[in-house]
Amino acid sequence: MNISLIIVTYSLVFLLAFSVALFLYLILRRVVIQQQETLFQEKYQKIESEILKLIASPQQGLALEIAQKYKSFPNVLTKVLFDYIEQIKGQATDHLKKIFDYALKEKCLKDIYSRRLIKRLKATHLFVIFSGPSDTPHILKLLNDKPVVKLVAINALSQIPSSRALSYIFQAFENDSVSNARTYMNIMYGLGDKIETHVNEYLKKPLSTEKLALMIELAGTIPLRSLSQDIISFVDHPEKEIRIKVARALGHMRISASLDTLIRLSDDEAWEVGAQAMKSLGKLEDVRAKKVLSKGMFSPFWHVRFNAGHGLANLGEPGLKHLQKVKKQKKDAYASDMANMVLDEVFYSGEA
Amino acid sequence: MGGIIESVFQVVTGIILVYFFLINSLYLLFIILSIFGIYQYKNLSAFVNFKEVFQMPLVKPISIIAPAYNEEMGIIESVKSLLALEYPFYEVIVVNDGSTDHTLEKLKKTFGLKKSKRVFRKTIETKPIKGIYISPSDPKLVVVDKVNGKKADAMNAGLNVSRYPLFCGIDSDSILEKNALLKMARPFLEDPEKTVGAGGIVRLSNGCKVKFGQIVEVGLPRNALARFQILEYLRAFLGGRIGLSMLKSILIISGAFGLFRKDIALQCGGYRTATIGEDMDLVVRIRKYLHESKIPFVFRFIPDPICWTEAPETLKGLANQRNRWHRGLIESLLHSKKMIFNPRYGITGLFAMPFYVIFEMLGPLIEVAGYVIFSVYVLLGQFNQTFAVLFFLLAVVLGILLSLLAILLEEYSARRYPRLMDIIIIVAFGLLENIVYRQYLAVIRAMAFLDIAKGKKEWGETKKKGFSWESQKQ
Repeated sequence: MNISLIIVTYSLVFLLAFSVALFLYLILRRVVIQQQETLFQEKYQKIESEILKLIASPQQGLALEIAQKYKSFPNVLTKVLFDYIEQIKGQATDHLKKIFDYALKEKCLKDIYSRRLIKRLKATHLFVIFSGPSDTPHILKLLNDKPVVKLVAINALSQIPSSRALSYIFQAFENDSVSNARTYMNIMYGLGDKIETHVNEYLKKPLSTEKLALMIELAGTIPLRSLSQDIISFVDHPEKEIRIKVARALGHMRISASLDTLIRLSDDEAWEVGAQAMKSLGKLEDVRAKKVLSKGMFSPFWHVRFNAGHGLANLGEPGLKHLQKVKKQKKDAYASDMANMVLDEVFYSGEA
Repeated sequence: MGGIIESVFQVVTGIILVYFFLINSLYLLFIILSIFGIYQYKNLSAFVNFKEVFQMPLVKPISIIAPAYNEEMGIIESVKSLLALEYPFYEVIVVNDGSTDHTLEKLKKTFGLKKSKRVFRKTIETKPIKGIYISPSDPKLVVVDKVNGKKADAMNAGLNVSRYPLFCGIDSDSILEKNALLKMARPFLEDPEKTVGAGGIVRLSNGCKVKFGQIVEVGLPRNALARFQILEYLRAFLGGRIGLSMLKSILIISGAFGLFRKDIALQCGGYRTATIGEDMDLVVRIRKYLHESKIPFVFRFIPDPICWTEAPETLKGLANQRNRWHRGLIESLLHSKKMIFNPRYGITGLFAMPFYVIFEMLGPLIEVAGYVIFSVYVLLGQFNQTFAVLFFLLAVVLGILLSLLAILLEEYSARRYPRLMDIIIIVAFGLLENIVYRQYLAVIRAMAFLDIAKGKKEWGETKKKGFSWESQKQ
């Protein structure tokens, strides 16, 4: 028997054995999982019916009873609590939090310090939903964890309505890398006008362009109208991205006092800024913007014409009449086509 | 003379054996990497609530572009499925690429389309657009009617008409899961600067029950060819593409469903109409452009089944499809051949391109060469019978092992096939594919080289039944 034959034979035997084992594993795994799922489902339904009973007619000690009864099934209990906390509002959530406190909190606190990332992550996620102010110290420790856990912790902090918690979130935003900045933005956005003071403070800090742009955008998206003057102060910022965000934020805020600033931005050297300013001017729905928007219809840039056209449509009758004029003129076919399209869209979508 | 021929045969046999060893080792490596990739993804997204993504203020609007050529059988179900997607801001642009059937009429009638006066920037040259239609009842829908110019041209027309910063190219016979866009948009939210494209797992809808534009029940098709393809798709997406994406070397984002940044695609000139594999070609050219411009980038692959497409169920349809795919692959790789082994193009030049050229492009040629040499040895009576039989069995078992690992990945990641019997049937087809099916596809793919040499450019017909029919059948 030569060497190649021996190698092939052994490889074949090994691979065949491995394949058969893998096949059996696949089948057994499926059978076991199906059985586990059936058991899980049965237990889920039992817990669910008891929780529904608790929510429908709260009785003293019933939450504790449920917690004690199902403490040994943490996965099922966690799933039921997760599913129901999303569906219900108000006082009923307190019952679920009580069950969590009695049955799962201890395990959760243990898991937060687990060596395994997935355990820490799951435990932290539970805190996002069930945490209270007393849990803040535990969550703060997670701010030094890996980014994925840290962001969940930040999210958990955002559920705690204290100024200290908000300060922690903004500090983490300042110190964290730019790549995570948008995640912070999403968390901060959910906090609404509670963060006004902090946004104001951070607009004045020497942040990187990306972070500053996000702060400006955040102020506009919420919107934090009292910060409009602070936003306007960035109108001459050397970075185009910042000027675009200023124009966008002012559009979201819809403050007529920002009209002059937006008119100025509509003439910006960068067409992207001009296009955003046109869009924001349209949102103001102020007839004083008609002249600038009309000029925008003849811009060499498609986006500027597009936003100017829709801006004019937003002005109502005077804007629509002007669009009719632009449509009929023969000097600039691009402007005419754009006016035609905007009028057509307004007609079909019933925007006017 | 006989000695020279024998030496040549021995050298070729040696090359084929080394090739066999390398290709299987790489596929095993990809599958191992996929296991890590899926584990990572599952852990990180275990508690992700996609409703939260939906409410995020920074989600970018998406233009879905669906080119349609003679798709009257399934177009309505597909468009309905697209209009029912969960995503805050998106538009659906169906490009009727000069269909000769009733695709446009069906769309007009079902959605009450009216001719629009929409204007757009003609950033990329395309065949003339005959009309743009909008639906007063569903403002998200835009239908572009144009002169036939093939898929790439239709995609470019859709790009011209689209208005949003991200675009998603899909086949009009595909069905997307409701939260497909939310899942695909996540990488663009997490790393908006670097992420330039994202793809997801495409599954076969044959045998599945479709209702209201959504897959409501997953099952196996009765057609044997479709069953073979189910296993192939599992291997290709769960084994190959996730593994390649872990190595940052993904060159194919399926035309059936891929999400890209529009500005980057436009800077690269959009889809190249001269090729038949426009999806791969776009990814390769984007990589080339970004490497040359020294812009850091990442293509992401979402290991979630998010798109369902119909596989051909006839030999002719399958042959046309595979031949076309292989021609597309060859054209795309040859078009950017200067990237191969060129360190200027980083991992794309040093690993991704060489891998695709050596193992994907030349694979069928080498496989067919192996069969030919084996046949010649048999004819000449000059082969070690025991060795040949054992080697053939080894190849079969290795193929089965790769298939089993892909099924394991499917079980671990999604477990979409509900019945245990489905898994057993798929495994059985993994065994059967080694007889005739595999050899047939190798020959079809090898023929692509001849077709390229002949200058063949047509798509080749791939008849499909459409989802409506499938739904009624169930």
